[in-house]
Amino acid sequence: MLRTLAKLLKILNSDADPGQISLGFAFAMVAGLTPLMSLHNLLVVLLVLVLRVNLSAFLLGLALFSALAFALDPLFHQIGLAILTTPALSGLWTELYNSTLWRLERFNNSIVMGSLVLSLALFVPMVLVGNTLVRRYREHVLQWVMRSRIMQAFQASKLYGYYQTVRGWGE
Amino acid sequence: MKWIRWQGVVAFVVVTGLIAAVWLLLVDAWVKRAIERAGTAALGAQVELDDADLSLMPLGLTLTRLQVTNPDEPMTNAVEIARIAGAIDPLELLRRKVIVDQMTVDGLRFNTPRRTSGAIAPRARPEAAPSEPAGGLSLPSVELNDPKEILAKELDSLQSLKLAENLRTEVQTEKEKWQQEVAALPDKTKLNDYKQRIEGLKSAGKGGLGGVLGGVQEVKQIHEELQQDLARIKRVKTGLEQTLTIFKKRADDVARLPQEDVQRLMEKYSVSGQGLANVTRVLFRGPLADYVQTAVEWHRRLEPFLSRPTDKKPDAEAEVVKPLRGKGVDVRFAERAPLPSWLIRTSRVSVEIPAGVLNGEVKNVTAEQHVLGTPLTFAFAGDKLNGVDAITLNGAIDRVDQTKPQDTANLNVAAYQLDHLKLGGDHSPVALTQGVADLNVRATLSGPSLAATVASNVRGARIEAGKELAPGPVGEVIAGALAGVKAFQLKADVTGTQDQFDLKVDSNLDDVLKDAVGQQAKAQVSKLEGQLRAAIDDKVKTKLDEVRGNLGGLDQLIQDLAGRLSFGQDILKLGAGGLGGKSGGFKLPF
Repeated sequence: MLRTLAKLLKILNSDADPGQISLGFAFAMVAGLTPLMSLHNLLVVLLVLVLRVNLSAFLLGLALFSALAFALDPLFHQIGLAILTTPALSGLWTELYNSTLWRLERFNNSIVMGSLVLSLALFVPMVLVGNTLVRRYREHVLQWVMRSRIMQAFQASKLYGYYQTVRGWGE
Repeated sequence: MKWIRWQGVVAFVVVTGLIAAVWLLLVDAWVKRAIERAGTAALGAQVELDDADLSLMPLGLTLTRLQVTNPDEPMTNAVEIARIAGAIDPLELLRRKVIVDQMTVDGLRFNTPRRTSGAIAPRARPEAAPSEPAGGLSLPSVELNDPKEILAKELDSLQSLKLAENLRTEVQTEKEKWQQEVAALPDKTKLNDYKQRIEGLKSAGKGGLGGVLGGVQEVKQIHEELQQDLARIKRVKTGLEQTLTIFKKRADDVARLPQEDVQRLMEKYSVSGQGLANVTRVLFRGPLADYVQTAVEWHRRLEPFLSRPTDKKPDAEAEVVKPLRGKGVDVRFAERAPLPSWLIRTSRVSVEIPAGVLNGEVKNVTAEQHVLGTPLTFAFAGDKLNGVDAITLNGAIDRVDQTKPQDTANLNVAAYQLDHLKLGGDHSPVALTQGVADLNVRATLSGPSLAATVASNVRGARIEAGKELAPGPVGEVIAGALAGVKAFQLKADVTGTQDQFDLKVDSNLDDVLKDAVGQQAKAQVSKLEGQLRAAIDDKVKTKLDEVRGNLGGLDQLIQDLAGRLSFGQDILKLGAGGLGGKSGGFKLPF
């Protein structure tokens, strides 16, 4: 837990572009919430590697969202099932079902469909909100935090040691 | 190009390449393990593979030495296949469907020995069985018994002896009853009293008119009393005569009964020819039942691979299946060209049997025929084999409509050289040591209903029967008759269900045996019949002699009563003569 918090602080306090950080988290959300061994996650990994996305943010987010996915599986199942069994969309799904690529994607699985739709729907908001939060953190919170007595105490604590050990990651 | 990280492309290629390399290294082991696990779970016995090789260009799978343990004999492989090779449709594989257009199965053998036991946890297995036990060899009534032994065993069941004894008891009882009744009747002493009284009145009548009138009155009274007594005697005599007649008739009937007993015992203990009418059933039913049972068992083993419950119907609405916790559910939609999850379109198979190699094709192998819409068919043929001119086997396993499954098989064997085929079980002394058989088998399995016919012509036959077939001369007769059989026909009908079937066997061998044994055993049978007849007659005669003695006693009673009646009639005539007449009778004055 301490290590995770340290990593998060390190990312936030780095010189990385807020967009790279928030995009890393957004991609992590897609890969983490949906079943890992899905075809679309191969694309996510490719994008994460090719685009200048903050890898630390992606890896940290992947761990966090994967853990969250276990709790949210029932919700994904309900959403996915509702979408897949919507009569108006049955033509579309039937078309996709007869496509090898989409069958490989396992779009017809309720959890794959529910988690993918939810994570894609939250992707852009996640990037935008993430950008805003990182900027505001750096503008308003970072200096104040660094000067606060709590931070002074923190710097003298064991946690700070962790922070130092992860310094430089993801740059 | 601030947002592009070109080294990321390299990293992606390296990472995916590494993953692919690991997969390629491990996939053969995964496939091998998956086949072994699935096969073992489906069959309930160890399934082993020496090697599995998945090739990519072209995509194909080669399995080396597949061993399938016989669940009933863990040290034997029910099936062993040297090599299976097939090309897999890569596009369909991406859709999670294993579609093999052409497969080659080489070196398929049955019942090969194993070096280690292939047993897993014991399982309950329903036994297919004929509705009657097959039984061992037990020819009916093949031994001529000693008449003394037969009588000792059958003494209590001899109807003639029973009825003779009953008759003897009844006659004895009746005789005593009639003797009492006869004793109660007026005897000659009493009748003589009447005579004396009449004679006394005659003497008294000479004393005057008053005496005559009084005498007439008394004579009239004596006459009435005498007539009453005579009527009683007559009644008893008539009854006694009737009883005697009935008993005499019954005695005559009993005298004829030993013949019926002899016939019954002859049917039971003699070689009548009829008793051998089902010898074919005894000889062939066991082996045929074993073959049917083996076929049923093999069919049952294949069942998991032949069909599985319907998941969905083609062109049906979207269907939700397999709710698995944490894994979601797969919603299935109509496919344009539906294919089962696995399918082997054509499989060329070479089967190694002791006679040689049978080559054939099996088409449309899948557990989801309802999806494919076509039944599995098979056709095998082999000619100029070792000891067989030709074998053809073809048929179909139709599960397209799962509510009406129908499996058919036709087997033709031409000129099969028979060699020391045990008839009537492993311990039977009868063996078909040589012969040439043509065999035709047609079997249909509709759901649980089994119907099959087996027809065979055997020529150049040589049947040997050991001495232990039946002791004594009849055994020799049967062995001789069997040895004389050079050709015969056999027909068997199997009806019922897989679990409980009935087997009817018919052959002209029955007639051959019946005729032969009937002729050759005739003298012995006649001798036995005579001996039984004499022995039963002797026992019945003793009883009947006693009966006839008692009946003679009744006859004497009748003679006695006849004498009394005659005497009484004479007295009546005496009375009717009147008082004071010359003849000594009464002479009335008017």
